[in-house]
Amino acid sequence: MTLRPATGRQFSFARTQLPLKREPGWYKEAVIYQVHVRTFFDSNGDGIGDFQGLAQKLDYVQELGVSAIWLMPFFPSPLRDDGYDIADYRSVHPSYGTLDDFKAFLSDAHERGIRVIIEMVANHTSDQHPWFVESRSSTDNPKRDWYVWSDTDAKYRETRIIFIDTELSNWAWDPVSKSYYWHRFFSHQPDLNYDNPAVREEMWNIMKFWLELGVDGFRLDAVPYLIEREGTNCENLPETHEVIRELRRKVDEQFPGAMLLAEANQWPADLRPYFGNGDEFHMAFHFPLMPRMFMGLRLEDRKPITEILQQTPEIPAGCQWCLFLRNHDELTLEMVTDVERDYMYDIYATDKTMRLNLGIRRRLAPLLDNDRRRIELMNGMLMSLPGTPIIYYGDEIGMGDNVYLGDRNGVRTPMQWSGGWNGGFSTADPERLYSPAILNPVYGFQAVNVLSQRRTGHSLLSWMKNLLHMRRSYPVFGSGSIEFLFPANHRVLAYIRQLGKETILVVNNLSSAAQAVELDLRRYKGNILIEMSGRNVFPRIGDLPYLLTMGPYQFYWFRLRRI
Amino acid sequence: MEEKLLNDDFLRQLINVGEVDILVGLPTHNNCKTIAPIVRAIQTGALKFFPRERVAIINADGGSQDGTPDLVAGAAIDDLRNESKVYALRTLHCVSTQYARAPEPGTALRTILAAADLLRARACVVISPDATTMEPEWMQRLARPVYAESFDLVSPIYQRPKFEGALMRNLLYPMTRAIYGYRVYEPYASEFAISGRLATDFLNKEFWNDEWGRTGAEMFLTTTALTGQYRVSQAFLGMKAPTTRNAGDVVAAMRRTVGALFSSLDENFAIWSAVSGSQPVPTIGAPSEAAAEPVRISRKRLRDMFATGVSELQPVFSSILAPSTLSDLDRIATLELQDFNYPAELWAKTVFEFAAAYHNSVINRDHIIQAMVPLYRGRSLTFFQESRNGNGNDIEANVEALCGEFERLKTYLLERWSDGK
Repeated sequence: MTLRPATGRQFSFARTQLPLKREPGWYKEAVIYQVHVRTFFDSNGDGIGDFQGLAQKLDYVQELGVSAIWLMPFFPSPLRDDGYDIADYRSVHPSYGTLDDFKAFLSDAHERGIRVIIEMVANHTSDQHPWFVESRSSTDNPKRDWYVWSDTDAKYRETRIIFIDTELSNWAWDPVSKSYYWHRFFSHQPDLNYDNPAVREEMWNIMKFWLELGVDGFRLDAVPYLIEREGTNCENLPETHEVIRELRRKVDEQFPGAMLLAEANQWPADLRPYFGNGDEFHMAFHFPLMPRMFMGLRLEDRKPITEILQQTPEIPAGCQWCLFLRNHDELTLEMVTDVERDYMYDIYATDKTMRLNLGIRRRLAPLLDNDRRRIELMNGMLMSLPGTPIIYYGDEIGMGDNVYLGDRNGVRTPMQWSGGWNGGFSTADPERLYSPAILNPVYGFQAVNVLSQRRTGHSLLSWMKNLLHMRRSYPVFGSGSIEFLFPANHRVLAYIRQLGKETILVVNNLSSAAQAVELDLRRYKGNILIEMSGRNVFPRIGDLPYLLTMGPYQFYWFRLRRI
Repeated sequence: MEEKLLNDDFLRQLINVGEVDILVGLPTHNNCKTIAPIVRAIQTGALKFFPRERVAIINADGGSQDGTPDLVAGAAIDDLRNESKVYALRTLHCVSTQYARAPEPGTALRTILAAADLLRARACVVISPDATTMEPEWMQRLARPVYAESFDLVSPIYQRPKFEGALMRNLLYPMTRAIYGYRVYEPYASEFAISGRLATDFLNKEFWNDEWGRTGAEMFLTTTALTGQYRVSQAFLGMKAPTTRNAGDVVAAMRRTVGALFSSLDENFAIWSAVSGSQPVPTIGAPSEAAAEPVRISRKRLRDMFATGVSELQPVFSSILAPSTLSDLDRIATLELQDFNYPAELWAKTVFEFAAAYHNSVINRDHIIQAMVPLYRGRSLTFFQESRNGNGNDIEANVEALCGEFERLKTYLLERWSDGK
């Protein structure tokens, strides 16, 4: 890795792989960086981030140490749901640049060994999409059957409403064609009809379009809801799995190595079918784990974490969980009990403006009271639990949020590059920015930014880089097995990660106070422990319980070596 | 070398428990027949009323041979064990230890308080292994005032069967009320809650190795709370299960309770001698409506034991009691059962004369307590006769009248106290 000054860039890094091959299973050992083009860097001074800007910041992304970027929707859209309301699947929103800009960005990313995952919002379109405009135009239009229409709003009554704060029904009245259309999300997002083979074929053609351009995978949005059936809750239906298997088969046949990631906010047992027999999704988000990590931290008790992981079923060998602490949405509390949700609200969202739907719309650092030790511990767990971790842009420097912006926009503010004009995000007048930058004295760009954190070896950014380097240096984290140790001290979460001859012991103190913990490591008698960040040697494991003392929120990663 | 109160294994377990909000102490000794539902009630109460708080159950066992500690440990809820399959937000530790000495209630309590002190418990609830009528709500009623309202002691009020609680109603309550000026109905409680502050202060008392520390600590706990800067309250708990006793149990109970109460007077003279009258303490909840079955009493046996005691203990009584009191007792001892009456005024004077004699150690203090037992049986007989046809309100009215006598005669105690007799 070579550091050299470059025009318009702080650092530049040697290109690593030319071209980047789609190796099967690459996603298992990846670290993914989630970013929205709009939020990252504005190259043309119009106040909106764009693909040229993103390309200019790829060195930073590479320097951070991630191996893949997941882009939020960048397609033409009325932007009534931040791009998840797509009006054209084969193009780029003009605010973000052109398709050529995207291609250049993709090429630059691949040159740096960074893969690119894009969104496939397959469940629904914008009501501005030409398909829907045609569909609603008359009941005998050829596109009529591309969406789910009904003369009554009484169908599928057992289906829950997801956006309970804004929607009263999953049906919306269309005054044009004088009938109801089905929508699981906002009423301006009509659901596509996947019972229609033409819809399935067209969606595959769209995926093929992007795969041929070179993207490495898709995050498929809202997959449980593709198919509707009377008498069911219209989620996780067998017919939905048929659609997914069909897509997966085509991907494997025509674009081997491309990855499909499921966004399905479900319990682990309900998620498991989305892996099928290794013939559906490659990866799926582990939604229930995330709130329980926050819960365990605040309860100072590992129980919520170990319980959900013990309930998590085995998945096929080629598959992987996707883990995250925060993302562009609210911290979802759908997959917790009522008691747990009340607790989370009371602890993490004391101000009711922080609550949205069944969740909390806050970033990582504010959720953790900007406590560096807790932020490190949570990232340490994210990187060492089984799965592929995702870092939400800005969380690596401890960016704050703005709960006074509507919807989830408070966690989608401009990336903070420096303490200068607009935090280095854009040269536009501040009033012109797509969203106001964070300005408060604690989280504002003058206090929290990439430039200043690059200058100190002890900044959160520097610490994150070291952590990611360690994570990526040991494939065991991505592909190894996990075994929990269950020490009697419930404040300590300890587990063994193992892959081949590599064995790593992870010990996390969830408590705000120092803890003593005795670990039963007799199986590993004779091994010494090597603490991985400082490479210091700890005493050899013997017959007695292995005693560790840990500072508040401290965590250790140890390599076990028999020397 | 000073003996360690907490053994190393127990200490290791406490390290694993860590800081708690509420500690539930459970003193046991061969209680396998009763303990399981009690532990279940504690667990249910903790999860229902304190789902977010850090709760631990600490079992101080006096060397059970019947598997009692294992039954307690079975209530633990963690990511490995949850035998009852109940939902819990966080880990519930159940830790059992056998304290070093032979079974002694004071040592068990001291062990529990030491654990509460180490774990920085904000509230410490103690539940007797005989509390077979315990409901999960007891956890709420005992712990909430301490945990959420900054009380230091929550003493129970029970719904008792008709003839139960004679010692409490005829001696401990009236005398404690008259002496210390607070109407605490159960000054010697087997179920109660205390604050971490009171637990720590009480733990640091010097008396633990004395007789009263080993056997009568609960009485001292109440008097400590009443005489210190502590906030005291009471909570209605509901039905108290009757206990089966033999004659020897009464002697032991008198030693534990009356002995401890008398003993407390020495230490606290400056405080109680300045107190007159009494005031109620805040009381939480409402009395239960449920009526309890009266327990069976052999009135003839009580009368005979009283008469025999008065006859056989004349030499002892003459060194303790005023001549007029002794004369009245002699007269009562001759009464037939249907005419038997040991009136409130005479009983209050008797008790105070015994207390003064105890203070002045006119004879061996333990003998003084033992000598009081037959007289207590006589007073109990009157209590039963007065209660026989009355309802709960009538009983309470009788107790209230007795308390009035104790309060009125407190000056008499002060006179006897300084008379050296």
